[in-house]
Amino acid sequence: MKLSEIAKILNAKILTCEDKADEIDIKIVGASDMMSDVLLIAKPGMLLITGLNSPQVIRTANIVGIPAVVVVRKNVVPSETIEAAKNFGIALLHSPIPMYVACGKLYEKKLKDVAGIIE
Amino acid sequence: MTKKDETVNPVSKDNMERLDILIDELKGIFSNIKAHEIMNTSVVVIMPDRTLYQAKELMRLRKISGLPVCDENGMLVGIVSIEDIIKALENNYINDKIERWMTKNVVWISEDEELIDIVEKFSRYGFGRFPVLNTETHRVIGIITKADILSTILNKLKNLYVRDQRMTNVLENTDLHSISLITGEKLDKSGADFYFEINYTDINMAGVGAAKLREFLLSKGFNEELVRRVAIATYEAETNVVIHSESIGKIYCFIRDDFIKVRVEDYGKGIENLELAMQEGFSTAPDYIREFGFGAGMGLVNMKRCSDKIVVVSEVGKGVIVEMLFNIKTGREET
Repeated sequence: MKLSEIAKILNAKILTCEDKADEIDIKIVGASDMMSDVLLIAKPGMLLITGLNSPQVIRTANIVGIPAVVVVRKNVVPSETIEAAKNFGIALLHSPIPMYVACGKLYEKKLKDVAGIIE
Repeated sequence: MTKKDETVNPVSKDNMERLDILIDELKGIFSNIKAHEIMNTSVVVIMPDRTLYQAKELMRLRKISGLPVCDENGMLVGIVSIEDIIKALENNYINDKIERWMTKNVVWISEDEELIDIVEKFSRYGFGRFPVLNTETHRVIGIITKADILSTILNKLKNLYVRDQRMTNVLENTDLHSISLITGEKLDKSGADFYFEINYTDINMAGVGAAKLREFLLSKGFNEELVRRVAIATYEAETNVVIHSESIGKIYCFIRDDFIKVRVEDYGKGIENLELAMQEGFSTAPDYIREFGFGAGMGLVNMKRCSDKIVVVSEVGKGVIVEMLFNIKTGREET
């Protein structure tokens, strides 16, 4: 699924790399607030949904090859985080929807988790 | 078992000595394992007035091969095994009460018995399982099979760092910072292919070094999967320095023909209990760190998973050195 489409579904604002939103094609999604968990489970190409908004999220994403991050549950995304996303060329999205709901909405659209599992 | 055979000598004397040291070390680690650490505590027992048929059903349902028989006070009065059931089926007395056919002179293990004696019992009696009794009450508190022993040993091994002679050289050398932990060679840090100084004062800077290293390795043309492994492990090590050390840290990376070596050092407070620190989920990170998404207790676990070899040396108050090797040519599968 195109990232632009995901942004619509999650009612999310695209903060960086908007020009790539139609190119980035997401097949798997993972959600976590623990960066070590992300390092453990992430597969290249995964979309990350997280409640964290610190620049660490972007650095972690960069290390494991995550092309796009959706920040949920936070009112603001700090400028350092946006800056980091710009530097690494990672698409950063900000959604007002809670994590559980965001996951549910994408699950409904048949996006798979990292292990390729879907009912 | 530890006696060495002087007549067989494919190994040099030097190697023999090293082997002796190793065996002594292993003995130290395994000899003090007691029965209560090995036993399976969810032990299924049966009353003597039940039938062998009922024992058979219980074994089938719980997928076990033997049952201690206990009276109403929990005192051990016998044991019934799959062999007893087979005999009962062959000779048509499966509906008899257990007490008639059970083994009454049960060999048991007390909870304080040591591994070496337990292993000895297995080989002496040839039984598949031994009940474990509380030393004072003589009630059954667990059961030990060979599988329980194996899994206990494997768990211990997981936490064990076997040191060979090269490592001894390293450890006896007062200046750990100038010697490779894995290969024992003298380390010329000025020859490092990559160097980064970790800023420990700002948690927001954690991961910058790993990101730079990732970029550097990609620019050298290494394949993405390898670079990813190096980057993840380095990121975890770097984060540990920022969160725990309260000192500056350094990342060195050495590129060799068949491996990449990453060394992360700090001069801070060190790791108090390395065995504990290696455990999945164990963390001493303060709460505010968790707000940054760290402190899940997965750091060392992740490092181990991503690297082909890892050595961690730490002394309280002196810092931590983590050295990791990543083989370049292995077709290691991502797990």
